[in-house]
Formats: sequence, structure tokens, C-alpha cells
Amino acid sequence: MSTDNRLWRIGLIAAAVALAAGCASGNSQAGGAPSGPLVIGASVSLTGDFSDSGKAVKNGYELWANTVNAHGGILGRQVKLNIVDDASSPTQVVTNYQNLINKDHVDLTFGPFSTLLTIPASQVAKRYGYAFLAPAGGGPAVFQQNLHNFFFVQPAPTVQSGDVFVNYLLSLPPDQRPQTAAYAELDDPFAAPLAEDIRQKLEAAGVRTVYKQVYPSETMDLSPVMGAIVALHPDLIVGGTQNEDAYSQVKDLVQLKYNPKFMFQSNGANSPLEFPDKVGTTNTEGIFAPADWYPGSKASGSADFTAAYIKAYGGSAQTVDDSSAEAYAVGQLIEAVAAKAGKIDNNTIISTLHSGTWPTILGNLSWGANGAPTGQFNLVQWQSSKLLPVYPSAIAQAKPEAPKPNWGG
Amino acid sequence: MHALVQGVILGVLTAGVYALMASGQTLIFGIMRVVNMAQGAMVILGAYLSYQLFTSWGVDPFLALPITTLALFVLGVGVQWLFLRPLHAGDRSQLSVLVTFAVALLVEGFMSVTWTTTDRGINTSYANASWTVFGYQITLVRLWAFLLSLFALALLYLVLNRTRFGRAVRASVQNPESARLLGVESEWVSAIGYGLGTATAAAAGSVYGMLYSFNPNSHYDLISRLLSIVLLGGLGSIGGAVIGALVISVSSSVVAAAVSPIWSQMTFFIVLLLVLVIRPRGLFGASMRGAI
Amino acid sequence: MSTRQWIGPTRAVVFFAVIASLPVFGLAHWAMNMLVFTLMFAVMSSAWNLLGGFAGYPSLGHVAFFGIGAYAEVLWFQHHAIVSGYEPFWILPLIGIGVAVVGLPVAALSMRTRADVFAIVTITLLFVVQTLAFNLRGLTGGAQGASIATAPFPAATYEQPFYYVLLLLLALAMGLTWAGMRSKVGLSLVAVRADEDKAAGIGVRVQTVKLLAFCVSVGLTGMVGAIWAYYESFIYPQFAVDPLITVAIVLMTFLGGRATLWGPVLGAFILELAQQYLAYSLGGSEFYLIAYALVFLVVMLVMPRGIVPSIQDRLRQRRRRRVVDAT
Repeated sequence: MSTDNRLWRIGLIAAAVALAAGCASGNSQAGGAPSGPLVIGASVSLTGDFSDSGKAVKNGYELWANTVNAHGGILGRQVKLNIVDDASSPTQVVTNYQNLINKDHVDLTFGPFSTLLTIPASQVAKRYGYAFLAPAGGGPAVFQQNLHNFFFVQPAPTVQSGDVFVNYLLSLPPDQRPQTAAYAELDDPFAAPLAEDIRQKLEAAGVRTVYKQVYPSETMDLSPVMGAIVALHPDLIVGGTQNEDAYSQVKDLVQLKYNPKFMFQSNGANSPLEFPDKVGTTNTEGIFAPADWYPGSKASGSADFTAAYIKAYGGSAQTVDDSSAEAYAVGQLIEAVAAKAGKIDNNTIISTLHSGTWPTILGNLSWGANGAPTGQFNLVQWQSSKLLPVYPSAIAQAKPEAPKPNWGG
Repeated sequence: MHALVQGVILGVLTAGVYALMASGQTLIFGIMRVVNMAQGAMVILGAYLSYQLFTSWGVDPFLALPITTLALFVLGVGVQWLFLRPLHAGDRSQLSVLVTFAVALLVEGFMSVTWTTTDRGINTSYANASWTVFGYQITLVRLWAFLLSLFALALLYLVLNRTRFGRAVRASVQNPESARLLGVESEWVSAIGYGLGTATAAAAGSVYGMLYSFNPNSHYDLISRLLSIVLLGGLGSIGGAVIGALVISVSSSVVAAAVSPIWSQMTFFIVLLLVLVIRPRGLFGASMRGAI
Repeated sequence: MSTRQWIGPTRAVVFFAVIASLPVFGLAHWAMNMLVFTLMFAVMSSAWNLLGGFAGYPSLGHVAFFGIGAYAEVLWFQHHAIVSGYEPFWILPLIGIGVAVVGLPVAALSMRTRADVFAIVTITLLFVVQTLAFNLRGLTGGAQGASIATAPFPAATYEQPFYYVLLLLLALAMGLTWAGMRSKVGLSLVAVRADEDKAAGIGVRVQTVKLLAFCVSVGLTGMVGAIWAYYESFIYPQFAVDPLITVAIVLMTFLGGRATLWGPVLGAFILELAQQYLAYSLGGSEFYLIAYALVFLVVMLVMPRGIVPSIQDRLRQRRRRRVVDAT
């Protein structure tokens, strides 16, 4: 009898302690008095599947915080970041934002890395009236939530990042445009919708679709798909890709010895360091990709950002991770709102950002009611082993190269 | 038609690598009655080691094989000694699955810390080279991988059938108690057997790294395929593992070419389902009391 | 002697009363949130225990049914409206039974194998369901994920409905376990776990009992999956069918003690609270997965029977020694 009772006494004591702890924190004072530091909370994937990009986002946030604090902070308040790890898990991200908002009482929240995590996280922020600025995670489902507190900090929703490529093709005289197109799409929240968006627009403009295939995300081997594409000799190959499969697509095409006149990849090809490393430096020439930030960008604050990044993290302009750039832009927006409105709190951010355009290192950003940005990405292309912006002409640093030169092998 | 034949060629070439991985797994089960859930993780670890040797010292993965296989052999023996031997015989079959799963997580965690989660690939200078034979395309790397796997399997066969150790292994597989009565040191056999299993994983891993990109999380995909192959071939039978790998690899490749890549993934599992319904002990598995 | 019989139920009543009253004390949202997840795992561990602990069939694929329950909930409400916010809870019994029914053929097929082979089969089942979730894009949305309308509960008490429903499910799971332990079914399961062939030989209804354990176990798990989907409001295949959840459930049951009533619950409370809190405070370190795996290994190797039985044993030994000393 005493054996089990002892366990129960321990159990009850533990419950009482938990109770006390829970109540105590529930009553604790807010940590955001208008004159103390400006505490910004963010849950970022520092471990797990998204950890590489997650760490780049953390770097971006920290770089911005250090930069702005060196210039006196925001409205005289020093920025203090409270960054926690969600281990790339949606349950943990919910817990993290609950803790950040309700336990640590942060003043503002910044977003996590992926669409998968942004959706549950933005719901938590909305429930408690926090503005939610997300540097990543712009899949269609995010905007379908119609959250007034949500802002996706990139030039356009991810699904529309290919529109700039369509615009470029349509700017060519009809006899220089591709007549036929093949689409190889990764089944994932952005890649396939992005490619489908391109496909619909191109079909409307008269480019015939000869092949379309969606492949699952764990597909090890893309050679059956690429082989089928090659057999049809399309002028244009559109890859709705993330990183791994973008490299596979290119490698397979090289092995199959087929060179299309135009090639576009939604992701993977816009990575200045990884792409040539994975597919071979001689195989990158002429491939198009979308980009928000790119080395050598002339957008507002970009030169300072690049210099600060290199100073803090080493490398060169080519090794800057654009996830860091997107995170940095989030901070720039907060600065801009504070400067314009003279105060900084969640309601102010939400009401101010919904109108006007805001200059950042990603270009000028503006948003619709559901947080979808209303701008356009930039089109970049590999030329002589460098990634250069080629369209629209306002930001182009080189002329677009078409048709695509042959593979180096 | 062309696509189908190309699919078969691809399937056969890929089967070699899977056969190698699966043979290690089925060997471990045969000797120790342990389902090694860490086999996939060991393959990926082998791929990372190979990758590191390649990027730091320019050692070609094929040449690095002796190093990686030896390293993983030692690791395998260590894992068996530390984590599997202490399990009480009664609980062993149940707990071994969980313990090896935990080992897989441990290895995955180690790989994430050491190499981060960026995708890696081993891009040798000949990575994209291919031959065209009768209009069909054969990637050089795949061909080498296939030949290597055959070589490694042949070696394994020799070890098992022509050495004293091999005889001890086969005795332990067939009848552990009698083997022990006859003086076979079953703990050593187990340890070395596990080491051999992970060594085959290392060999397969080096090659795997040249064919596909990988990151620490890739072992889940691998282990699910390996389990299907091993169950199809029959637990404990190496010949079965080879045939199983061929059947599954070719059918999934053909389905990818003829139907769609989406359904080719399901081929592994549909085959497994058929196995379970029609013949649970697999093609060549022994009828094991208490397990099936 | 008769007072002894009341200890068990009293303990249960006190436990549930304490947990049920926590929200009334104005517990902070973040604490409620952690408790919601903890209760989810407590239910799932208790459910797993029926199959893995009592019946001796360690299923490593339980999360497949979690995922099926989650998708069932989401799909149902793509065609039906959520008005009061409680509809997703009303259909839980339906989902539970549905998942149990789906589990029946799976059970019949997979339980033709034993022990370690059964583990392999269930793991493969996990990957099959995950692949299906990815590939049946028309149905599940594939990698795009699937959404369910967010619950219209007021922000101040948002977690409470989930909390109470989960508490009810836990009571159900534990009630079933308790009743099972005292009935012929429980005895039959013990016999099956010890030696299935002999049990069949002496006339135990082995097949019926096994199927019953499996279906009840997965039905409960499916219901938790449905609640989880509603709580997250957006689900993806790789999270709805995540091998790490299976690992967690198994670990919690082992830690607490297989084939005991309170073991899984204890394991869930200890591990889930620790894990969520540690991930939040110590997260950034990449040693997270390594630490998790090491805890798992330590528990397996050092305390395979779990906390509850180990403590019970030690206390029983002490009692015996006292009796001996007294004489």
C-alpha cells in the first residue's frame, strides 16, 4: 500500500509545482515597456530539415539587429532578439510562438523559415494580435488564410516568382520565342504550383506543352522523366524545382546530351555557390532562374548589407545566402515603419504596411490585404559562370542570352 | 518501348547498389536475429565519409573504399558490442529493432552536426559521362557502381563459403544452439557479422553518394526500401536479397518510365504487400519458428 | 483488503480532477499548449501500450493511423462546415471507429508475423501511408498539404476545448486498459505475449484478442490524430506521418513501463514536457537529435522494464525485507 501511495504523493506534489509555475508565469509582468529594449521573438529552424536555411535566416536577423543598434536602435530603443529553435517541427513552432508571446512577452515577432511552419505560427500570432513578418514561406496556402496581420517579405508570392520569366519570353519577337515546352515539377508547396503558373500563362500565349510530369519529393532518379522529355525535343524546359532535383535535372540532361534552347529552374539554379559546384561550372551557362536578392543588387541598402555580411560572416558577395537577405529585409521594414509612424507596436505595423511601397534590399515591396506582396521577382541568368540579373531592363546588368549555349560536359 | 528498355537497364544497374546494402542487412538478421534499422544510416554515413575524403584530399570514392569499409566495419563491431550485446536474450528480438532505430537516430544526429543538413553529392570529373549503346544510355558511374556491387557480393560469398569464419556464420544462422555446442563463439560471430553488415553499407554508400544527392535525413527512404527488399528475398538469405533487389528495382524503374514516377515509389510497397499476403517468409527465407 | 481495491480508482479520480481543474486556475497559454501536446502523447502511449505492451506486438507504425485520423478529419471538413467549432469533436467517435475498421485488415495481415518481423511490417506500413499521403494528391493535396478551418474559439480560452477532449480520451484509454487488465481479454493478452502458440493450444481465442487489441489501439491513435489536425489547422504528409512520433510513443511507454496502467502516462508527461521545454530553451544546439537518441538507448539498455515496474519492484522488495525483519 505504501509503495504506490508514495508514488502518488510525489505525483501530486509535482502537479502542484507545475500549477504554481504555470500561474506565476501567467501573472508575470510584460517585458516590453515603451522605453526598454525592443524585444523581437522568432522561431527559426536551427536543427532538422530546414536548418541550413534556418541558420541563414538567423544570421540575417542578427546582422540587421547589430547594424540598427550601431545606429542608435529603433526610436532610441536597442533591439534585442530572442531566437529559438523549432527543430523544423510544426508542433514545436506552435509551442515556441506561444512561449515567445505569452511567456516571454516579446514586443514583436518575426517569422520562421518555411511555409510548413509559417502557417501554424501565423495563426498563433494572429490570435494574440501580433504582426507577423515572414522572410520565407510564401506558398499559396499561406495567403488563403487571409490573415490581416501577415506580411510575406519577398517581392511576390513564391508561386508567382516565375512570372518574370514569362514576361521576358513574351518580350521577345514571336519568331524568337520557344514554340514547345516541357515541365518537370517537384511535388511540393511551391515548386509545382510555380511551374503550373508558368505553364498556364505560356499556354495562353501559344507555347505548346509537349510534356508535363509531377514527381514526388523523394524521387531518387529523374532520368526516366528527363529521358521522356528529351525524346520530345522541346524548345523550353521548365523545372519546378527545389535544390536537389534541380541539380539532378541538369546532370541528367548533360548525360542525355540534350540542350534545350531555353531552360528555367525555379530553385537550385539561383544559388551562386552550390549550383556550379553540383552540376559542374561548365554546365551552368544560359540557365534562367528567379531571384529576389542577388550579388551586385542596387536595391536600397544592398551595398551596406553585403559589406556588413562579409565582415560578419566572411566569404564574398557570391556566398551570401539569400535567406539572410530576406531576413534582413524584415528588419528593414520595422525600421521604416518606426521612422514613418514615430512609434513601433503591432497595431502600427499592421496598419502602416498595408499601404504604400517600402524600399528594402529585395527591392520595393508592397502588400495586398492577405499579406501577398504585389511586386515581381527579378530574372537572373548564368553567364560566364556568374549569376547576373537580365530582366526587367531597369535592373539588368547584362543582356539575356538566348538561345542557350551547349553543355560543357 | 525504348523508354521501357531504358527503364530495365536503369533498374538493373541500380539494383546492384541496393543488393549490396540489403545483403548486409539480411546477413545481420541471419546471424543475430536482429533487424538492423540503422543500415540506411550506415549507408549514408559511408557516403559522407567518402565525400569527405573526396573533397578534402581528392581521393576518388572507388579508391577510398578500403578506408571507408574498414572504418564502418570497426564502427559496426563497436555498435554491436555497446548496444546490442547487453540486451537480454529474451527481450532481444523486440528491443533490437528499437535499439538499432535509436542508433540510426544517433548516427543521423552526428551527421547533422558534422556536415550540416545541406545536400551533398560526390561529383567526380567523370560524374556525367555516359555511353550510348544501341541507342540506350548507360551512365558510366552507374555501371561502375554495378560492377563494384557484384565484386563486393562475390567477396562476401567467398568469405561466407570459403573461410572458417564464414562456416561459423552459416552454422549460427542455421542453428545457433548447436553451433554454440560445437564451440562457435557466438558473441564474436555476432560482432563481426554486424561489422560486415555495416561494411557492406559503407561500400554501397560510397557509390550511392556518386549517384544521388544525400543529406542526414536520407536514411529513412533507404531503410524503407531495404526492408521491402529483405522481406521479399527472405530474411537471412543473401541470394534472396540480391534477387529481391533486382525484382524491386527493375519493376519500380519500369513503372517510372511507363506510368509515372509517382507510382514507382509505391512499387516497393505493393511488392511487399504481395509478399505478405502470398508468402510471408519471402522467396528464399527459411521458415522460422516464432518469427513468421 | 477491500480498501486496497479502492486505491486504484481513487488515484485515478484524484489525477483527473487535478488535471481537469488546472485551466480554471488561469494557467498561462504556453503552459496549456504544452499540456495539450503532452495529453496527446499520453493518450497515444496508452493506446500503443495495449498492443505493444500487453499483447507483445511492438508496432512501429502506429503513427500511420495517427495520420489517417488526421487526414480523415481534414477531408471531412472540406465538405462540411464548422460552425460552433465543436463539430470536429463530435465526429471523433466516427473517426475512431473508422480507423479501427481500416486497421482490421491491416491487423489480420500483419499479425501473421511475430515480434521483430511484425516491427518491420509496421514500419513499412508507416512509409506506405506516408507515400500514399504524398502521392494521392487529388485526395490529400500531396506535398501541398491540406487545411481545416481554424477553430473559432476565443483567444483567451482557445486551448481549453482541445484540452478537455483529450482528457476525456485519456480517461477512455485508461478505462479500457484498466477494464482489459481485469477481464478475460487481459489474461488472454498476457498469454499471447508469453507464448502465443501455447495459448492457442490451450484454447485462448488468440486471433480475436489480437485483432481487438490492434483495432482499439489504432482507433484511439486515429482520434488523437484528428484532434492534432484541428489544433494545427494545416497538415502535411511528412508531419502527419512522422516516424519520430512513433519513436516518441514507444520511448514513453518503455520509460514509464510497458503493460502497466500508469506507465505510458507517466512516460508521456516526463518526456513530452521535458522535450518541448528543452527544445525551447536549449534548442539551437544541434545535439538535439543525438541527446534524444541517447536517452532512448539508455532507457532501452538500463531500464527496459520502465519506471513504474522498477519502482514497484524495489518497493516490494523493501516491503518484503521489512516483513522478514519483523519476524
